[in-house]
Formats: sequence, structure tokens, C-alpha cells
Amino acid sequence: MSVDASISCQEVVELLSAYLDGELDPTTLERVEAHLAGCDGCTMVLEEFRETIRLSGGLTVEQVDETQRRTLLEAFRDWRAGS
Amino acid sequence: MMLVDELGPSMRRVARMYVSSDAVTDEVVQEAWLGVVKGLDGFEGRASLRTWIFRILVNTAKTRGQRESRSVPFAALAGDDLDQPTFDPTAFGAPGDPNAGAWSTLPFDWRGMPEERAEGTETLHVIGGAIAMLPPMQAEVIRLRDVLGWSSDEVCNALDLTETNQRVLLHRARTKVRGALEEHFRSVSEA
Repeated sequence: MSVDASISCQEVVELLSAYLDGELDPTTLERVEAHLAGCDGCTMVLEEFRETIRLSGGLTVEQVDETQRRTLLEAFRDWRAGS
Repeated sequence: MMLVDELGPSMRRVARMYVSSDAVTDEVVQEAWLGVVKGLDGFEGRASLRTWIFRILVNTAKTRGQRESRSVPFAALAGDDLDQPTFDPTAFGAPGDPNAGAWSTLPFDWRGMPEERAEGTETLHVIGGAIAMLPPMQAEVIRLRDVLGWSSDEVCNALDLTETNQRVLLHRARTKVRGALEEHFRSVSEA
């Protein structure tokens, strides 16, 4: 399955996150791209990484606890009153 | 108050990493916000506002943690498996094998999942659950990067991480979330 002997599937999957974030140095980037061009397994995992990131972006941002919000507002008020 | 809503939950979790209790965490978050309000005039905009707020928070929490004589080893926050491979080594040909390092067992292919299934609330529960299981620093990095969409520079600054550490933590976190999705989609496709 591995086309480019200079980098293995096992090595490529460890680089996919950096690859997607554009953080690979040019030499490594070239190797990873050459490998991906000939490897269906790594291409699949790459696409699943991309999908994982996209789906994670759909998580709702959690809400701030109402009590904490109120305590914080009071702290601001006290600070203003005191200054 | 929009920033309080946007940053509040992350700030609490980050502060909690460095101090001993929820009560102290609340005090640290409050102290940090007061520091933000007092320091706002001096904010020069070299970093983004949210990054700057996190720096104040992390410094406040670390100082407080030190005062409590609480020293938290990096591995306790980041996970103690950082030098291990993220993917199961048995999925690849063993060293010395003619196929060393190449796939021997491919992961389940879940790319063709129907959209309504892939994007349903169940999927979000799986992702949320997988993130909640991560070591705290991995969880926070993936939340800030992939859920809230911060840049890697911002996350390094906000959480006081080196670029390398940030990258390693994010990759581990994404790999585990991808793995949880794989498990989930495999089980629903077999059901």
C-alpha cells in the first residue's frame, strides 16, 4: 500500500493534524503529499480528521452558570463603588 | 457581558487546573476579571483581547496555586502518554516486517455516513463525551481550536504552551475524538 518508502503510513497519521493546519516544513509536506497521493488508507483517515474538526465546530458553546455571572457582576459593581 | 459568556466556561476549567477547589477557582476567575477591568487602559492590542484575558487568568491561577503550595506537574494536565503513538500500533505492520509501518488493518470507513446521521445531536454527544474524557489540557486545546475556532498562536499564548506542545496536544485530542466517532459510526452501522 505504501508508495513512498521514505515515509510510512504509521508516520503519516501522526502528521495529519499538523498537515491540516499548514504547519509542516516543506520537505515533510512534500513527502506527506506524495504518500497521500498513493495511499487510500491514509487519505481516508485524513478526510475523517477533516470531518472530525468540522463536526467539532458544531458543538454548542456552553453557558455560563447564572450564579457565577451574578457574583461576577456584583464584584464589578463593588470595585467601581470602591474606586 | 458577551466576553464573560464566551470565555467563562473555558476560564473556569483552565483556572481549575492550577488550584485545589471549585471555591478557589471562582475566586481566581473573579480576581482575573478584576485584573482585566483595571488593566484595560494598558492593553496595547498586541495580542487579541481574549488571549490577553487568558494570560491574566493563567498567571492569577498559577500564583494562587503556588500560594496553596500546589504544584501540578505538566504531565498531569497534558496526559502522560505524549511520547506514545496516537494510533494503535497493531493496525500497522510490525517493525522488521516487509510491510513495517504500512496499514495492516484499516480503520472503519465512516466517510459515507448520511448527513442527517453524521450531523445529528447523537454525534455531538459523542464528540462532547470524548472531549470530556481527555486530560484537561488536551481538552482545552481542542475546545479552543476546533470548537471555538481560535488560531494556534492564540491558544499558545492563552494557555502558555509552546508551539510544539500545542500541536502534540491537539493532535492527540483530535485522534481520540476521531476514534470515538469511528467507534460510534461502526456500532450504528452494524445495528
